[in-house]
Amino acid sequence: MAAAVRLAEKGYDVAIIERKEELGGILDQCIHDGFGTKIFGTALSGPEFAGSFMERVEKLGISVRLNAYVKSVDAGGGIKKITTVSPEGVDVIKTKSIIYAIGCRERHQFEIKMGGTRPAGVYTAGMVQRLVNLYGILPGRNILIVGGGDVGMIVARHLHLEGAESIMVVFPEEFFAGLPRNAQQCILDFGIPYRPRTIVKEIVGRERVEGAVLVRVDERWNPIPGTEEFYPCDTVVLSVGLIPYAKKLADLGAEIDPRTRGPAVNEFFETTVSGVFAAGNLVQIFDYVDDAVESAYLAAEGVEKFLRGDAKLEKRIIVKAGENVRSLTPHRIEWEDEKPVVAFLRPALEGRAWITVSDGDGQLLKKFFRQYVRPSTLERVEIPREILQDADEVVIDVRGL
Amino acid sequence: MSEVYEFLCIRCPKGCRLRVVVDGDDIAVTGYECLEGKKYGEEEVRNPKRMVTSTVRILGAKYPRLPVRTAEPVPKDRILDVIAALRGVVVRAPVRRGQVIVENVAGTGVDVIAERDMEAVG
Repeated sequence: MAAAVRLAEKGYDVAIIERKEELGGILDQCIHDGFGTKIFGTALSGPEFAGSFMERVEKLGISVRLNAYVKSVDAGGGIKKITTVSPEGVDVIKTKSIIYAIGCRERHQFEIKMGGTRPAGVYTAGMVQRLVNLYGILPGRNILIVGGGDVGMIVARHLHLEGAESIMVVFPEEFFAGLPRNAQQCILDFGIPYRPRTIVKEIVGRERVEGAVLVRVDERWNPIPGTEEFYPCDTVVLSVGLIPYAKKLADLGAEIDPRTRGPAVNEFFETTVSGVFAAGNLVQIFDYVDDAVESAYLAAEGVEKFLRGDAKLEKRIIVKAGENVRSLTPHRIEWEDEKPVVAFLRPALEGRAWITVSDGDGQLLKKFFRQYVRPSTLERVEIPREILQDADEVVIDVRGL
Repeated sequence: MSEVYEFLCIRCPKGCRLRVVVDGDDIAVTGYECLEGKKYGEEEVRNPKRMVTSTVRILGAKYPRLPVRTAEPVPKDRILDVIAALRGVVVRAPVRRGQVIVENVAGTGVDVIAERDMEAVG
Protein backbone atom coordinates (compact mmCIF):
# COMPACT_ATOMS: atom_id res chain seq x y z
CA MET A 1 0.00 0.00 0.00
CA ALA A 2 2.82 2.41 0.86
CA ALA A 3 4.49 1.92 -2.52
CA ALA A 4 1.16 2.18 -4.34
CA VAL A 5 0.26 5.39 -2.52
CA ARG A 6 3.63 6.98 -3.28
CA LEU A 7 3.39 6.09 -6.99
CA ALA A 8 -0.24 7.18 -7.29
CA GLU A 9 0.70 10.51 -5.71
CA LYS A 10 3.29 10.92 -8.46
CA GLY A 11 0.54 10.34 -11.03
CA TYR A 12 1.28 6.77 -12.10
CA ASP A 13 -1.42 4.23 -12.90
CA VAL A 14 -1.18 1.69 -10.09
CA ALA A 15 -3.05 -1.49 -9.19
CA ILE A 16 -2.71 -3.61 -6.06
CA ILE A 17 -3.19 -7.36 -6.35
CA GLU A 18 -4.00 -8.94 -2.97
CA ARG A 19 -4.53 -12.61 -2.19
CA LYS A 20 -6.52 -11.90 0.97
CA GLU A 21 -10.04 -10.54 1.26
CA GLU A 22 -8.78 -7.18 2.49
CA LEU A 23 -5.67 -5.00 2.40
CA GLY A 24 -3.25 -4.62 5.29
CA GLY A 25 -1.41 -7.92 5.32
CA ILE A 26 -0.44 -9.23 8.72
CA LEU A 27 -1.33 -5.97 10.50
CA ASP A 28 -4.98 -7.00 10.95
CA GLN A 29 -3.97 -9.50 13.63
CA CYS A 30 -1.35 -7.28 15.30
CA ILE A 31 -3.83 -5.55 17.58
CA HIS A 32 -1.16 -4.41 20.08
CA ASP A 33 0.13 -0.83 19.97
CA GLY A 34 3.56 0.47 19.00
CA PHE A 35 3.25 0.86 15.23
CA GLY A 36 4.15 4.04 13.43
CA THR A 37 6.22 5.82 16.07
CA LYS A 38 8.65 7.01 13.38
CA ILE A 39 6.12 7.91 10.66
CA PHE A 40 3.21 9.29 12.67
CA GLY A 41 5.05 10.17 15.90
CA THR A 42 2.47 8.24 17.89
CA ALA A 43 1.99 4.59 18.75
CA LEU A 44 -0.87 3.06 16.77
CA SER A 45 -2.16 -0.49 16.71
CA GLY A 46 -1.60 -2.65 13.63
CA PRO A 47 -5.17 -2.30 12.30
CA GLU A 48 -5.03 1.48 12.82
CA PHE A 49 -1.73 1.75 10.98
CA ALA A 50 -3.10 -0.34 8.10
CA GLY A 51 -6.36 1.62 8.19
CA SER A 52 -4.61 4.94 7.66
CA PHE A 53 -2.99 3.58 4.50
CA MET A 54 -6.25 2.00 3.30
CA GLU A 55 -7.84 5.43 3.51
CA ARG A 56 -5.11 6.89 1.31
CA VAL A 57 -5.41 4.02 -1.18
CA GLU A 58 -9.12 4.72 -1.44
CA LYS A 59 -8.76 8.50 -1.70
CA LEU A 60 -6.22 8.19 -4.52
CA GLY A 61 -8.55 5.84 -6.41
CA ILE A 62 -5.96 3.08 -6.66
CA SER A 63 -7.37 -0.04 -8.32
CA VAL A 64 -7.48 -2.88 -5.77
CA ARG A 65 -8.07 -6.50 -6.74
CA LEU A 66 -8.84 -8.59 -3.67
CA ASN A 67 -9.04 -12.38 -3.39
CA ALA A 68 -6.74 -12.50 -6.38
CA TYR A 69 -4.09 -15.18 -6.62
CA VAL A 70 -1.15 -14.53 -8.91
CA LYS A 71 -0.89 -17.67 -10.98
CA SER A 72 2.04 -16.71 -13.14
CA VAL A 73 4.22 -13.76 -14.04
CA ASP A 74 6.08 -13.16 -17.25
CA ALA A 75 8.67 -10.54 -16.34
CA GLY A 76 10.98 -11.13 -19.27
CA GLY A 77 10.24 -8.27 -21.65
CA GLY A 78 9.53 -4.55 -21.42
CA ILE A 79 5.84 -5.27 -20.86
CA LYS A 80 5.31 -7.70 -18.00
CA LYS A 81 2.29 -9.96 -17.81
CA ILE A 82 0.64 -11.00 -14.55
CA THR A 83 -2.01 -13.74 -14.71
CA THR A 84 -4.39 -13.73 -11.75
CA VAL A 85 -7.19 -16.03 -10.64
CA SER A 86 -9.97 -14.52 -8.56
CA PRO A 87 -13.72 -15.03 -8.06
CA GLU A 88 -14.14 -12.90 -11.22
CA GLY A 89 -12.15 -15.46 -13.21
CA VAL A 90 -8.77 -15.43 -14.90
CA ASP A 91 -7.31 -12.06 -15.76
CA VAL A 92 -4.11 -10.89 -17.42
CA ILE A 93 -2.65 -7.57 -16.30
CA LYS A 94 0.01 -5.87 -18.40
CA THR A 95 2.42 -3.56 -16.68
CA LYS A 96 5.82 -1.93 -17.13
CA SER A 97 7.00 -2.57 -13.61
CA ILE A 98 6.11 -4.75 -10.61
CA ILE A 99 6.74 -4.29 -6.89
CA TYR A 100 6.53 -7.50 -4.89
CA ALA A 101 5.47 -6.99 -1.27
CA ILE A 102 4.46 -10.50 -0.28
CA GLY A 103 6.09 -10.52 3.13
CA CYS A 104 7.59 -13.36 5.09
CA ARG A 105 6.56 -16.69 6.55
CA GLU A 106 7.03 -18.16 10.01
CA ARG A 107 9.57 -20.86 10.66
CA HIS A 108 8.08 -24.10 11.98
CA GLN A 109 9.14 -27.08 14.12
CA PHE A 110 10.74 -29.02 11.29
CA GLU A 111 13.15 -26.17 10.62
CA ILE A 112 14.50 -26.14 14.18
CA LYS A 113 15.07 -29.87 14.55
CA MET A 114 12.35 -30.42 17.12
CA GLY A 115 11.72 -34.13 17.62
CA GLY A 116 8.86 -36.19 18.97
CA THR A 117 5.36 -36.95 17.78
CA ARG A 118 3.04 -34.83 15.63
CA PRO A 119 -0.07 -34.34 17.75
CA ALA A 120 -2.69 -31.61 17.47
CA GLY A 121 -1.90 -28.48 19.48
CA VAL A 122 1.30 -27.26 17.82
CA TYR A 123 0.92 -23.78 16.34
CA THR A 124 3.06 -20.97 15.03
CA ALA A 125 2.79 -17.73 17.02
CA GLY A 126 1.23 -15.87 14.10
CA MET A 127 -1.46 -18.51 13.76
CA VAL A 128 -2.29 -18.19 17.46
CA GLN A 129 -2.40 -14.41 17.14
CA ARG A 130 -4.91 -14.81 14.31
CA LEU A 131 -7.08 -17.31 16.21
CA VAL A 132 -7.17 -15.18 19.37
CA ASN A 133 -7.49 -11.72 17.86
CA LEU A 134 -9.78 -12.31 14.88
CA TYR A 135 -11.80 -15.33 15.96
CA GLY A 136 -11.66 -15.17 19.77
CA ILE A 137 -10.45 -18.77 19.98
CA LEU A 138 -7.96 -19.81 22.65
CA PRO A 139 -5.84 -22.61 21.19
CA GLY A 140 -5.34 -24.27 24.58
CA ARG A 141 -5.13 -23.75 28.33
CA ASN A 142 -1.62 -24.72 29.36
CA ILE A 143 0.73 -23.24 26.86
CA LEU A 144 4.43 -23.63 26.15
CA ILE A 145 5.89 -20.87 23.99
CA VAL A 146 9.09 -21.74 22.17
CA GLY A 147 11.28 -18.76 21.32
CA GLY A 148 11.86 -15.37 22.93
CA GLY A 149 11.25 -13.23 19.86
CA ASP A 150 8.82 -10.33 19.63
CA VAL A 151 5.89 -12.29 18.21
CA GLY A 152 6.21 -14.92 20.94
CA MET A 153 6.26 -12.33 23.72
CA ILE A 154 3.30 -10.42 22.31
CA VAL A 155 1.31 -13.63 21.94
CA ALA A 156 2.21 -14.61 25.53
CA ARG A 157 0.63 -11.39 26.78
CA HIS A 158 -2.54 -11.88 24.72
CA LEU A 159 -2.91 -15.49 25.91
CA HIS A 160 -2.34 -14.43 29.51
CA LEU A 161 -4.96 -11.67 29.31
CA GLU A 162 -7.47 -13.72 27.35
CA GLY A 163 -7.61 -16.56 29.84
CA ALA A 164 -4.82 -19.13 29.44
CA GLU A 165 -4.27 -21.02 32.70
CA SER A 166 -0.51 -21.36 32.49
CA ILE A 167 2.18 -20.08 30.17
CA MET A 168 5.88 -20.88 30.02
CA VAL A 169 8.33 -19.30 27.58
CA VAL A 170 11.58 -21.08 26.74
CA PHE A 171 14.42 -19.88 24.52
CA PRO A 172 18.09 -20.78 23.96
CA GLU A 173 19.47 -17.26 24.43
CA GLU A 174 20.50 -15.83 27.79
CA PHE A 175 17.63 -13.36 27.61
CA PHE A 176 14.68 -12.62 25.31
CA ALA A 177 15.89 -12.08 21.75
CA GLY A 178 13.18 -9.54 20.93
CA LEU A 179 12.97 -5.86 21.82
CA PRO A 180 13.43 -5.05 25.55
CA ARG A 181 10.22 -3.01 25.41
CA ASN A 182 8.31 -6.21 24.66
CA ALA A 183 10.13 -8.22 27.34
CA GLN A 184 9.04 -5.64 29.92
CA GLN A 185 5.50 -4.93 28.72
CA CYS A 186 4.53 -8.45 27.71
CA ILE A 187 6.39 -10.80 30.04
CA LEU A 188 7.80 -9.05 33.13
CA ASP A 189 4.70 -6.85 33.67
CA PHE A 190 2.58 -9.96 34.17
CA GLY A 191 5.16 -12.20 35.81
CA ILE A 192 4.87 -14.78 33.02
CA PRO A 193 7.46 -17.49 33.77
CA TYR A 194 10.32 -18.09 31.35
CA ARG A 195 13.41 -20.24 31.11
CA PRO A 196 16.45 -18.98 29.24
CA ARG A 197 19.05 -21.39 27.78
CA THR A 198 16.30 -23.97 27.29
CA ILE A 199 14.99 -25.62 24.15
CA VAL A 200 12.39 -28.25 23.33
CA LYS A 201 14.00 -31.60 22.59
CA GLU A 202 10.76 -33.27 21.65
CA ILE A 203 7.02 -32.88 21.67
CA VAL A 204 5.07 -35.58 23.55
CA GLY A 205 1.48 -36.68 22.87
CA ARG A 206 -0.49 -39.01 20.65
CA GLU A 207 -3.73 -37.27 19.66
CA ARG A 208 -3.14 -33.96 21.44
CA VAL A 209 0.00 -32.39 22.91
CA GLU A 210 0.56 -33.81 26.40
CA GLY A 211 3.79 -32.02 27.09
CA ALA A 212 7.32 -31.45 25.90
CA VAL A 213 10.75 -32.62 26.89
CA LEU A 214 12.80 -29.53 27.71
CA VAL A 215 16.56 -29.59 27.79
CA ARG A 216 19.02 -26.96 28.95
CA VAL A 217 21.63 -25.71 26.49
CA ASP A 218 25.08 -24.17 26.89
CA GLU A 219 26.21 -20.84 25.48
CA ARG A 220 26.62 -22.40 22.04
CA TRP A 221 23.08 -23.79 22.20
CA ASN A 222 24.33 -27.38 22.58
CA PRO A 223 22.01 -29.50 24.74
CA ILE A 224 23.49 -30.43 28.14
CA PRO A 225 23.01 -34.20 28.61
CA GLY A 226 21.13 -35.21 31.74
CA THR A 227 19.16 -31.95 31.99
CA GLU A 228 16.07 -33.27 30.20
CA GLU A 229 12.81 -32.55 31.97
CA PHE A 230 9.19 -33.29 31.06
CA TYR A 231 6.97 -30.19 31.03
CA PRO A 232 3.22 -30.89 30.89
CA CYS A 233 1.16 -28.67 28.56
CA ASP A 234 -1.61 -29.00 25.98
CA THR A 235 -0.34 -26.48 23.43
CA VAL A 236 3.05 -25.62 21.95
CA VAL A 237 3.43 -22.23 20.26
CA LEU A 238 6.45 -21.64 18.04
CA SER A 239 7.97 -18.20 17.74
CA VAL A 240 11.21 -19.18 16.11
CA GLY A 241 11.80 -16.62 13.44
CA LEU A 242 10.54 -15.24 10.15
CA ILE A 243 11.88 -15.86 6.68
CA PRO A 244 11.23 -13.71 3.59
CA TYR A 245 8.89 -15.46 1.19
CA ALA A 246 11.23 -15.19 -1.77
CA LYS A 247 10.21 -18.27 -3.74
CA LYS A 248 8.10 -16.32 -6.22
CA LEU A 249 11.01 -14.03 -7.03
CA ALA A 250 13.43 -16.96 -7.26
CA ASP A 251 11.03 -18.50 -9.80
CA LEU A 252 11.42 -15.34 -11.91
CA GLY A 253 15.17 -15.82 -11.83
CA ALA A 254 15.94 -13.16 -9.21
CA GLU A 255 19.12 -13.67 -7.22
CA ILE A 256 18.44 -14.59 -3.57
CA ASP A 257 20.79 -13.55 -0.75
CA PRO A 258 21.52 -16.55 1.53
CA ARG A 259 21.86 -14.22 4.54
CA THR A 260 18.61 -12.26 4.34
CA ARG A 261 16.99 -15.11 2.40
CA GLY A 262 15.26 -12.39 0.43
CA PRO A 263 16.10 -11.03 -3.03
CA ALA A 264 19.39 -9.23 -3.69
CA VAL A 265 18.41 -5.60 -4.32
CA ASN A 266 19.95 -2.30 -5.34
CA GLU A 267 19.55 0.93 -3.37
CA PHE A 268 16.03 1.43 -4.76
CA PHE A 269 15.01 -2.13 -3.95
CA GLU A 270 15.12 -3.38 -7.55
CA THR A 271 15.84 -7.11 -7.77
CA THR A 272 18.24 -8.59 -10.32
CA VAL A 273 15.26 -8.88 -12.71
CA SER A 274 15.00 -5.55 -14.52
CA GLY A 275 11.90 -3.55 -13.53
CA VAL A 276 10.93 -5.97 -10.75
CA PHE A 277 11.20 -4.46 -7.28
CA ALA A 278 10.67 -5.81 -3.76
CA ALA A 279 9.73 -4.12 -0.49
CA GLY A 280 9.02 -4.88 3.15
CA ASN A 281 9.60 -8.17 4.93
CA LEU A 282 10.03 -9.93 1.61
CA VAL A 283 13.46 -8.27 1.39
CA GLN A 284 14.53 -8.71 5.00
CA ILE A 285 12.78 -8.87 8.34
CA PHE A 286 12.13 -5.31 9.53
CA ASP A 287 11.65 -4.79 13.28
CA TYR A 288 9.65 -1.62 12.76
CA VAL A 289 6.80 -1.26 10.29
CA ASP A 290 8.05 2.29 9.69
CA ASP A 291 11.27 0.92 8.17
CA ALA A 292 9.28 -1.52 6.03
CA VAL A 293 7.26 1.45 4.75
CA GLU A 294 10.46 3.34 3.98
CA SER A 295 11.64 0.41 1.87
CA ALA A 296 8.37 0.66 -0.05
CA TYR A 297 8.82 4.41 -0.60
CA LEU A 298 12.33 3.77 -1.89
CA ALA A 299 11.01 1.04 -4.20
CA ALA A 300 8.39 3.50 -5.49
CA GLU A 301 11.14 6.01 -6.26
CA GLY A 302 13.04 3.22 -7.99
CA VAL A 303 10.04 2.42 -10.18
CA GLU A 304 9.83 6.07 -11.18
CA LYS A 305 13.53 6.15 -12.06
CA PHE A 306 13.11 2.93 -14.03
CA LEU A 307 10.09 4.22 -15.97
CA ARG A 308 11.75 7.58 -16.70
CA GLY A 309 14.90 5.78 -17.84
CA ASP A 310 17.12 7.69 -15.39
CA ALA A 311 20.86 7.27 -15.76
CA LYS A 312 22.59 4.41 -14.04
CA LEU A 313 26.16 4.55 -12.76
CA GLU A 314 28.81 3.66 -15.32
CA LYS A 315 30.00 1.00 -12.97
CA ARG A 316 27.84 -0.35 -10.21
CA ILE A 317 29.16 -0.52 -6.65
CA ILE A 318 28.98 -3.85 -4.85
CA VAL A 319 27.96 -3.57 -1.18
CA LYS A 320 29.30 -6.31 1.07
CA ALA A 321 28.56 -7.26 4.68
CA GLY A 322 31.55 -7.34 7.03
CA GLU A 323 32.12 -10.14 9.50
CA ASN A 324 30.06 -8.54 12.27
CA VAL A 325 27.04 -8.01 10.05
CA ARG A 326 24.42 -10.75 9.87
CA SER A 327 22.47 -9.32 7.00
CA LEU A 328 22.52 -6.20 4.89
CA THR A 329 20.67 -4.33 2.16
CA PRO A 330 21.25 -3.00 -0.43
CA HIS A 331 23.52 -5.48 -2.19
CA ARG A 332 24.60 -3.04 -4.89
CA ILE A 333 24.36 0.64 -5.79
CA GLU A 334 23.33 1.19 -9.39
CA TRP A 335 21.58 4.49 -9.98
CA GLU A 336 22.81 8.01 -10.25
CA ASP A 337 21.10 10.04 -7.56
CA GLU A 338 21.73 12.87 -5.15
CA LYS A 339 20.14 11.47 -2.04
CA PRO A 340 22.23 9.32 0.30
CA VAL A 341 22.04 5.55 0.06
CA VAL A 342 19.89 4.08 2.85
CA ALA A 343 21.33 0.82 4.18
CA PHE A 344 19.71 -1.52 6.69
CA LEU A 345 21.88 -3.98 8.60
CA ARG A 346 21.53 -6.49 11.39
CA PRO A 347 24.59 -6.47 13.70
CA ALA A 348 26.04 -9.78 14.86
CA LEU A 349 27.36 -8.30 18.11
CA GLU A 350 25.97 -6.43 21.07
CA GLY A 351 27.17 -3.25 22.76
CA ARG A 352 28.61 0.20 21.97
CA ALA A 353 29.82 0.21 18.40
CA TRP A 354 30.85 1.98 15.24
CA ILE A 355 29.09 1.10 12.02
CA THR A 356 31.83 1.46 9.43
CA VAL A 357 31.80 1.95 5.67
CA SER A 358 35.08 1.01 3.95
CA ASP A 359 36.15 0.63 0.34
CA GLY A 360 37.36 -2.63 -1.18
CA ASP A 361 40.94 -1.99 -0.05
CA GLY A 362 39.86 -1.65 3.57
CA GLN A 363 40.16 2.14 3.68
CA LEU A 364 37.61 3.69 6.05
CA LEU A 365 35.21 6.06 4.25
CA LYS A 366 32.75 6.85 7.03
CA LYS A 367 31.71 5.68 10.46
CA PHE A 368 28.54 6.05 12.49
CA PHE A 369 28.53 5.88 16.29
CA ARG A 370 25.91 3.77 18.06
CA GLN A 371 25.38 3.81 21.81
CA TYR A 372 24.12 0.27 21.72
CA VAL A 373 23.63 -2.26 18.94
CA ARG A 374 22.15 -5.73 19.24
CA PRO A 375 21.11 -8.44 16.80
CA SER A 376 17.42 -7.90 17.57
CA THR A 377 17.54 -4.29 16.36
CA LEU A 378 17.94 -3.57 12.66
CA GLU A 379 20.22 -0.56 12.14
CA ARG A 380 19.69 2.08 9.48
CA VAL A 381 22.44 4.30 8.10
CA GLU A 382 22.54 6.94 5.35
CA ILE A 383 25.67 6.79 3.25
CA PRO A 384 26.44 10.04 1.40
CA ARG A 385 27.08 9.44 -2.28
CA GLU A 386 30.16 11.71 -2.40
CA ILE A 387 32.28 9.23 -0.44
CA LEU A 388 31.42 6.43 -2.87
CA GLN A 389 32.66 8.15 -6.03
CA ASP A 390 35.78 6.12 -6.72
CA ALA A 391 34.72 2.90 -5.04
CA ASP A 392 33.69 -0.20 -6.95
CA GLU A 393 33.06 -2.06 -3.72
CA VAL A 394 32.12 -1.00 -0.20
CA VAL A 395 32.10 -3.09 2.96
CA ILE A 396 29.74 -2.23 5.81
CA ASP A 397 30.76 -3.66 9.17
CA VAL A 398 30.19 -3.20 12.89
CA ARG A 399 33.11 -2.71 15.26
CA GLY A 400 32.63 -3.07 18.99
CA LEU A 401 33.99 -0.38 21.30
CA MET B 1 9.33 -1.20 55.31
CA SER B 2 10.79 -0.81 51.85
CA GLU B 3 9.52 -2.35 48.64
CA VAL B 4 11.75 -3.56 45.84
CA TYR B 5 10.81 -3.55 42.14
CA GLU B 6 12.71 -4.82 39.12
CA PHE B 7 12.16 -3.35 35.66
CA LEU B 8 13.74 -3.55 32.25
CA CYS B 9 14.32 -0.02 31.03
CA ILE B 10 12.52 0.56 27.72
CA ARG B 11 13.99 3.96 26.85
CA CYS B 12 16.61 2.60 24.44
CA PRO B 13 17.53 -0.76 22.90
CA LYS B 14 20.11 -1.40 25.60
CA GLY B 15 17.45 -2.53 28.08
CA CYS B 16 19.18 -1.90 31.45
CA ARG B 17 17.89 -4.02 34.30
CA LEU B 18 16.71 -1.54 36.91
CA ARG B 19 16.23 -2.21 40.61
CA VAL B 20 14.03 0.31 42.39
CA VAL B 21 13.77 0.45 46.17
CA VAL B 22 10.84 2.46 47.54
CA ASP B 23 10.97 3.46 51.17
CA GLY B 24 8.13 5.84 51.99
CA ASP B 25 8.74 8.91 49.82
CA ASP B 26 12.28 7.87 48.96
CA ILE B 27 12.84 6.16 45.62
CA ALA B 28 16.29 4.75 44.90
CA VAL B 29 17.03 3.45 41.41
CA THR B 30 20.10 1.36 40.63
CA GLY B 31 21.27 -0.54 37.55
CA TYR B 32 20.79 2.32 35.06
CA GLU B 33 23.55 3.51 32.77
CA CYS B 34 22.12 6.91 31.95
CA LEU B 35 19.75 9.46 33.50
CA GLU B 36 16.90 8.39 31.23
CA GLY B 37 17.00 5.06 33.01
CA LYS B 38 16.87 6.68 36.42
CA LYS B 39 13.83 8.74 35.34
CA TYR B 40 12.11 5.72 33.85
CA GLY B 41 12.65 3.73 37.07
CA GLU B 42 11.10 6.50 39.16
CA GLU B 43 8.10 6.89 36.83
CA GLU B 44 7.52 3.16 36.74
CA VAL B 45 7.13 3.14 40.50
CA ARG B 46 5.17 6.38 40.88
CA ASN B 47 2.66 5.99 38.07
CA PRO B 48 3.27 3.21 35.56
CA LYS B 49 0.81 3.25 32.64
CA ARG B 50 0.14 0.93 29.75
CA MET B 51 -2.01 0.89 26.66
CA VAL B 52 -4.43 -2.04 26.84
CA THR B 53 -5.40 -3.80 23.61
CA SER B 54 -7.93 -6.60 23.36
CA THR B 55 -10.98 -7.65 21.36
CA VAL B 56 -14.76 -7.59 21.89
CA ARG B 57 -17.47 -9.67 20.30
CA ILE B 58 -18.98 -8.19 17.14
CA LEU B 59 -22.14 -9.36 15.40
CA GLY B 60 -22.86 -9.12 11.69
CA ALA B 61 -19.23 -8.63 10.63
CA LYS B 62 -16.87 -10.84 8.68
CA TYR B 63 -14.90 -11.73 11.81
CA PRO B 64 -16.41 -12.53 15.23
CA ARG B 65 -14.00 -10.23 17.12
CA LEU B 66 -13.38 -6.49 16.87
CA PRO B 67 -9.93 -5.26 17.99
CA VAL B 68 -10.13 -2.44 20.53
CA ARG B 69 -7.74 -0.43 22.68
CA THR B 70 -7.76 2.13 25.42
CA ALA B 71 -7.68 5.62 23.89
CA GLU B 72 -4.91 6.54 26.34
CA PRO B 73 -2.61 4.47 28.55
CA VAL B 74 -4.21 3.39 31.83
CA PRO B 75 -2.52 2.72 35.18
CA LYS B 76 -0.72 -0.59 35.00
CA ASP B 77 -2.53 -2.08 37.98
CA ARG B 78 -5.88 -1.53 36.21
CA ILE B 79 -5.05 -3.63 33.12
CA LEU B 80 -6.89 -6.69 34.39
CA ASP B 81 -9.93 -4.58 35.36
CA VAL B 82 -10.09 -3.21 31.81
CA ILE B 83 -9.86 -6.71 30.36
CA ALA B 84 -12.60 -7.91 32.73
CA ALA B 85 -14.85 -4.98 31.77
CA LEU B 86 -14.54 -5.91 28.10
CA ARG B 87 -15.68 -9.47 28.66
CA GLY B 88 -19.33 -9.70 27.67
CA VAL B 89 -19.29 -6.51 25.58
CA VAL B 90 -21.09 -7.13 22.29
CA VAL B 91 -21.31 -4.63 19.42
CA ARG B 92 -23.00 -4.80 16.05
CA ALA B 93 -21.40 -3.95 12.71
CA PRO B 94 -20.84 -1.51 11.11
CA VAL B 95 -18.18 0.04 13.33
CA ARG B 96 -15.78 2.85 12.40
CA ARG B 97 -12.15 3.14 13.42
CA GLY B 98 -11.85 5.35 16.51
CA GLN B 99 -15.50 4.84 17.50
CA VAL B 100 -16.00 4.67 21.28
CA ILE B 101 -16.95 1.12 22.28
CA VAL B 102 -16.90 1.48 26.08
CA GLU B 103 -16.94 4.86 27.81
CA ASN B 104 -14.86 5.37 30.95
CA VAL B 105 -13.83 1.74 31.07
CA ALA B 106 -13.69 0.26 34.59
CA GLY B 107 -13.87 3.79 36.00
CA THR B 108 -10.42 4.70 34.70
CA GLY B 109 -11.68 7.85 32.96
CA VAL B 110 -10.39 6.42 29.67
CA ASP B 111 -12.57 5.24 26.76
CA VAL B 112 -12.07 2.04 24.80
CA ILE B 113 -12.11 2.63 21.03
CA ALA B 114 -12.35 0.46 17.92
CA GLU B 115 -9.03 -0.13 16.11
CA ARG B 116 -10.59 -0.64 12.69
CA ASP B 117 -13.61 -0.29 10.45
CA MET B 118 -15.79 -3.36 10.38
CA GLU B 119 -18.46 -3.44 7.69
CA ALA B 120 -21.82 -5.11 8.14
CA VAL B 121 -22.10 -8.27 6.06
CA GLY B 122 -25.04 -10.40 4.91
